[in-house]
Amino acid sequence: MSAILTIAEAAKQIAAKKLSPVELAKTHLDRIKRLDPQLNAFLMVTEERALADAKAAEARQMSGSLRGPLDGIPIAHKDIYGTAGIRTTAHSKLLEDNVPTRDAHTVKKWADAGTVMLGKLSTHEFAFGGPSFDLPWPPARNPWNREHFTAGSSSGTGAAVAAGLILGGTGSDTGGSIRGPAALCGIAGIKPTYGLSSRAGILPLAFSLDHAGPMAWTSEDCALLLQGMAGHDPEDPASVNRPVADFTAEVGKGVKGLRIGVVRHFFETDHRASDATRAGIDSAMDFFRKEGAEVRDITLSPAADYHAVGYLLMINEAFTLHAPWMRDRFKDYGELFRDRVALAATFSGADIVQATRRRRLLCREMATAMEDLDIIVSASQPGEAPRIADVPKWANMEKPSFTMPCNVTGFPAISICTGFGQGGLPVSMQLSGKPFTEPTLFRAAHAYETATSWRNKRPAMAA
Amino acid sequence: MSASPIDEAELKVLLARAGLPHSPEQVKAILPGAEIVQRLLARVNAPLPREAEPALTFKVEQK
Repeated sequence: MSAILTIAEAAKQIAAKKLSPVELAKTHLDRIKRLDPQLNAFLMVTEERALADAKAAEARQMSGSLRGPLDGIPIAHKDIYGTAGIRTTAHSKLLEDNVPTRDAHTVKKWADAGTVMLGKLSTHEFAFGGPSFDLPWPPARNPWNREHFTAGSSSGTGAAVAAGLILGGTGSDTGGSIRGPAALCGIAGIKPTYGLSSRAGILPLAFSLDHAGPMAWTSEDCALLLQGMAGHDPEDPASVNRPVADFTAEVGKGVKGLRIGVVRHFFETDHRASDATRAGIDSAMDFFRKEGAEVRDITLSPAADYHAVGYLLMINEAFTLHAPWMRDRFKDYGELFRDRVALAATFSGADIVQATRRRRLLCREMATAMEDLDIIVSASQPGEAPRIADVPKWANMEKPSFTMPCNVTGFPAISICTGFGQGGLPVSMQLSGKPFTEPTLFRAAHAYETATSWRNKRPAMAA
Repeated sequence: MSASPIDEAELKVLLARAGLPHSPEQVKAILPGAEIVQRLLARVNAPLPREAEPALTFKVEQK
């Protein structure tokens, strides 16, 4: 068993006064000092703030006034999440000196829940341009093999959680930026339902596709972190005003009776995933069947249809946001961001309306497919992480993404580890559900994670 | 769903019209991406039924 605690384990020990939040914070700060120079997961370590947060948590622990399971838990934020008085750069020269005056809504919620903030985490430039080597800071490295890619754009969060530098962190997901790094770094990450968690105070990439969500070692930890993030915020026009579910309510209830559809054509023919990825999904479906779930294959539109709609809308919305800077400060952007976003110049308003119309059909298709299902299963990524030096500029455009369908539709989706491939790096699967059924996703993900041994293995460098 | 071809000259004009003047080398570097975008456009521009209206991307009751 790994010596690094999960959030659920740490919370129990803190509540029982068997673990000091200050000692826990110091342990993680030491790990950051020792390991992060090899990973580049952090853009900034906020040691003073962390120790102040930890001391406050410890005072609450001693006085019996803990605020809940996140009190005293070491976390960090992707550097597009605004942090009051703390530099927020989007990993870009353009915002090298940007110091927000307010916390993002979700940053404040986690702080109010008692989390201990260790710092700001690397990202792809403005959550899109990466892995880049022409920015003021280097890209994050994969702790399972530092020559390999973390995926992006929540690259620092993926690396930092996998290496045990933090117990959880924030990510954002416009086309797969939470689930991709979760998959390649062998952790869990959930893109919640569109509107469940506020994006206010987070630097946007594409308004209609952006989601804020947590990443952690286990799905149960993601449930705890999401509980601390979710809720209505009038400052985000997409934020829903409805009661927030208890995300751990179904954890431990098993999968008996769940109806699961596998979109096999996504990862077998539309974009063929690696043998290890497909074997991992097959093995997971065998487990779900054995435990009493009903599992069957389903057919949706080709993954390329979802990908085309999502990608065009994403670069169109990103260009709308960045056009003034791209005109005036073109060379301050990294090559990958500016070249990808500049492609918005090659299509018309009519093309975007057509993409939006097709989006509606795809939303309806997925909703119809889910009428008699609880969960849809696909791959998260096509395989193990490639070498970081071998990731082409157009890699995220060329082949259909497995994660984009849930950005296009707004449905929730979680990525969890399903084992390791031939190169010794993690492989994964993705579980998606109907809007606001996150508790069911956590239920199935937790059942699988606790029945397999993958959560017991950390990267060698993290030992 | 065949893609319309795009060449360097056309791409240079489109970038300039968007206020993004590029050097010939920069245009050449972006051209492979523009070719992929043409394939994506071909896919979204396949004929759609008239009832595919953009105003209802998300169900009202989801809000």
